[in-house]
Amino acid sequence: MTDLAQRAHSRVKLFNRICFGVLIAFALLWLVPLAWALDTALKPNAETTKTTWAIADPTLDAFSRVLRDTDILTWFGSSLFIATMSAVGTVLVASLAAYALSRMRFRYRTVVFWAVLAGIMIPGQVLIVPWFREFDALGMLNTWWAVSLPQIPTAIAVFIFKQFFDGLPRELEEVARLDGAGYLRIYRRIIMPLARPAVAAVAIFTFVTSWNDLLWPLLVLSNPDIMTVPVGLSTVQGSFGIRYADTMASAILGAIPLVAVFLLFQRNIVEGIAGSGLKG
Amino acid sequence: MTLSRRALLRGTAATAALGLTGCSGLTPGRDTSGSLDYWNLFGGGDGVRMTQMLDTFRTANPSVELSAVTLTWGNPYYTKLALATLGDKPPDVAVSHLTRMKTLVSSDLLEELRPADLARHGITADKFTPRAWQAGLVDGKAYAIPIDTHPFVMFYNTDICKKADLLDSSGGLKPLDSPEKFTEAMRKAKEISGAYGGVVAINNDTSTPWRIFQSLYAQLGGEMLADEGRRVVIDDAKATQVLAFLQSLTKSGLFPAGIDYQGAIATFANGQSGFYFQGEWEISTFQTAKMPFSMTLFPNIYGGSKYAVQADSHTLVIPRQPDPDQGRLDRSLLLIRSMLDQSKTWAEGGHVPAWLPFRDSADYRAMTPQSNYSAAADAAVYDPPGWYSGSGSNFEIITGSAIATVLGGQQSPADALAQMRGQLQNLSTTASPI
Amino acid sequence: MTTETVVRPRPATEDGTPPEQRHGTGLPALGFLAPFLLLYLAFVIGPTLYGLVMSFFDTSLVKPGLSGFAGFGNYAEALQSADFWSSLWHTVWFTILTTPPLIALAFIFALLADRAKNGRWFFRLAFFAPYILPSAVVALIWIFIYTPGLGLLETALGTIGITSPNWLGDPVWAMPSLAMTTVWWTLGFNFVLYLAGLQEIPRDLYEASAMDGASPWQQIRKITIPMLARTTTLVAVLQVIASLKVFDQMYIMTSGGPNFATRSILEYVYDEGFTNFRVGYAAAVSMLFFLVVLMVSAVWFSIVRRQEKET
Repeated sequence: MTDLAQRAHSRVKLFNRICFGVLIAFALLWLVPLAWALDTALKPNAETTKTTWAIADPTLDAFSRVLRDTDILTWFGSSLFIATMSAVGTVLVASLAAYALSRMRFRYRTVVFWAVLAGIMIPGQVLIVPWFREFDALGMLNTWWAVSLPQIPTAIAVFIFKQFFDGLPRELEEVARLDGAGYLRIYRRIIMPLARPAVAAVAIFTFVTSWNDLLWPLLVLSNPDIMTVPVGLSTVQGSFGIRYADTMASAILGAIPLVAVFLLFQRNIVEGIAGSGLKG
Repeated sequence: MTLSRRALLRGTAATAALGLTGCSGLTPGRDTSGSLDYWNLFGGGDGVRMTQMLDTFRTANPSVELSAVTLTWGNPYYTKLALATLGDKPPDVAVSHLTRMKTLVSSDLLEELRPADLARHGITADKFTPRAWQAGLVDGKAYAIPIDTHPFVMFYNTDICKKADLLDSSGGLKPLDSPEKFTEAMRKAKEISGAYGGVVAINNDTSTPWRIFQSLYAQLGGEMLADEGRRVVIDDAKATQVLAFLQSLTKSGLFPAGIDYQGAIATFANGQSGFYFQGEWEISTFQTAKMPFSMTLFPNIYGGSKYAVQADSHTLVIPRQPDPDQGRLDRSLLLIRSMLDQSKTWAEGGHVPAWLPFRDSADYRAMTPQSNYSAAADAAVYDPPGWYSGSGSNFEIITGSAIATVLGGQQSPADALAQMRGQLQNLSTTASPI
Repeated sequence: MTTETVVRPRPATEDGTPPEQRHGTGLPALGFLAPFLLLYLAFVIGPTLYGLVMSFFDTSLVKPGLSGFAGFGNYAEALQSADFWSSLWHTVWFTILTTPPLIALAFIFALLADRAKNGRWFFRLAFFAPYILPSAVVALIWIFIYTPGLGLLETALGTIGITSPNWLGDPVWAMPSLAMTTVWWTLGFNFVLYLAGLQEIPRDLYEASAMDGASPWQQIRKITIPMLARTTTLVAVLQVIASLKVFDQMYIMTSGGPNFATRSILEYVYDEGFTNFRVGYAAAVSMLFFLVVLMVSAVWFSIVRRQEKET
């Protein structure tokens, strides 16, 4: 390597090292809030008034107090049920609809297509007032279904599936149809097994979004026995007072299920975001 | 019903597992097993005391599975209570400010408390502070059981006041029953303290400015709203008089002009002011700070023979139940009676008991400084009725913000009054949703 | 040689559709679409229309039925209401405070991470983990960090000599505090998007420019940024629309205070509809909010169209 090139090379290396250093610093900074919450949760309440990382008397008491005195375990159950129903429901309903839009020709196809597209423009937040009246009239306030059902008809999920199906080669289906298979069988046996990446992405995203939803569940779930984790945590937030260790313990406990989901499905989540981004 | 059948029922219900409701329907007041959900909005010192009282209830009534939930004070609490009742999953018993309770009644969200049911638990109208009881009636029917009155009061530093020669021979404060006497007292206190005569919270707080204004304005006989909030009837002359007086206190340096809730507490606790004006609930703060203080009625500056002071009351209500159930009702009333019986614990937090059996007792009279201002309960002026009014409501936010600007010296009384009137008129002319 | 599959030739039709698709796909299609369309009608289209109707009445939360007809009264009230405009402004202010950092910081971090040879999993974890947390968890943690007296932020800044304001209690600092929390919370999403976009850029572009003597800065300016234009547009629009819909942070951390200084437009809808029981009015405000979202989406749509024409 020439001397000039060598100097350029080492300049780039230095630049890269600086970049790396800066990035590590920011990444560590980004981890501070969670670390601080965990640190505080491991202290006895009396120690939390001293703002220091050192813990004189580490203890898990805050966690056991939260588990005992709040309904957080019930909230886990609620969130789990609702999020799972939403994820399963959305995948099923959206993939069926997407298959029809992708593979079938029927008279009102274009109309339906545009009607569904319009749905992407309507954010759920606009509908909280009519939803409340609707479920009140149906006598379904304070039920899990009231939370889950509106989350299922997601137009974006339909489009994700449709885009995926459009990209699948048609030969397999044609062979199957020549063998006399109907649409439903083709859907079940051929299309869906191939659609695993899309299913994973939609299922996980729906699960996470549903779990984290606050505004609508806040309105419809007012009984502490059936609240979801976000609603429960935000509703009883005042009751800890200055017991900061307990408050942080409840935050950590509230975070654990989703952190677990993240660690297990990291790849799917990241690919899902990246994929949707590239498709623009 | 034969004796043996009653005994059998009682036995069955007593051994029944938690969560069984309705079994006790045939033995009113006796059989109390089952669950009970109770919502309140008490944090801080009040929260600790309430927990204490609930634990005493639990020990005395082991067959009742009491589940208590504390929600954030103010609008969030009332919104959730309303939504839960609409969703047919209300708590069995809930706390409500007296001034918010009427809106709940008009919205058909509360159960009427029938005299017969109340009498079974020894709760009768004559056992309560008349003012608090009357204020809670709607069309002559009771919907709320008051457990206290929490008035606006005056705290004073006994050391400073002694040195300023403001105490009488028995160590109590000499009455400050005119604007001149009041201002003079503040001036003397300021000389001794070296900083301020008195302090009241102004910044980021709408309730406190409203309360000090309302106390003085009501002493002059002024009213704010009429017709359930449909008309704004502010008396300009009286309101201007009060606002001008308040502004003179901060402008002359007797009171700090830009201080928030916690800052005001600190100023008084550190001896930088001789007087402090706030609700009685801050008593624990100063007891913990171990400073020389006492409390008395908010001064009767304008009232003459008709003393008035701003106050509200905490009450216990029963939200509208989807399936009314005698056993559940009796459990609820049992809890309410227990809270009343523990009025002493509650009064330790500074509140004036509404339960006369305790209020008229020697025990309460011996509690100082709490008993100093018990007369406030009889002169209490509650926020005017209206769908947008009550403790922590939009009404207080609008009035309090305007008054705060006068106290802070940012607006003239006339401008603030115009601001208040305009905003209140917006609300008063809006179709009521209840 | 490749194997040949024998495919039976299909009779041609006028429009080229296979014969099995010409007839009878109406019913199966309906079957497949029915679940979605039924739920969609019940919970998207229906409520939208119902909300629109409700907005013309003085509907109350605690009274059945639509109550009195108000015509455009609710809309007029909203457009003349100082509370409406200030909550709209607060939402816009929040958007202004959060969008630039969420784009710029995410881009910078992604750039740095792209250059890193190993440990990328660590950076992804650090930046993205907050994103999957529920808002309530984020809020509880940051309320504690912002607590006057013993909050971590105040103490940390104190050690370098900066006195902190009352982060959540000062009307001037409350919104920036919420913005800071939001940036910490949601940066990871944009980070991942940018990282994926960066990895799509062909390396030889960089190598070629390096041989021409371009510095890293020039490479970023001339290659990276233009090639990420579409990603940036996507990030920006998603960010703006998400910011318009903000509710959770305000509700939990400041209750819209102090003195409504942080109340967002959705929180205004919540307050008016569910605290004040005025659901007819709240429905009108929701419709106005919907219009704002549509306008932003329309702007995005036209930008994307233009970008597609250019490429």
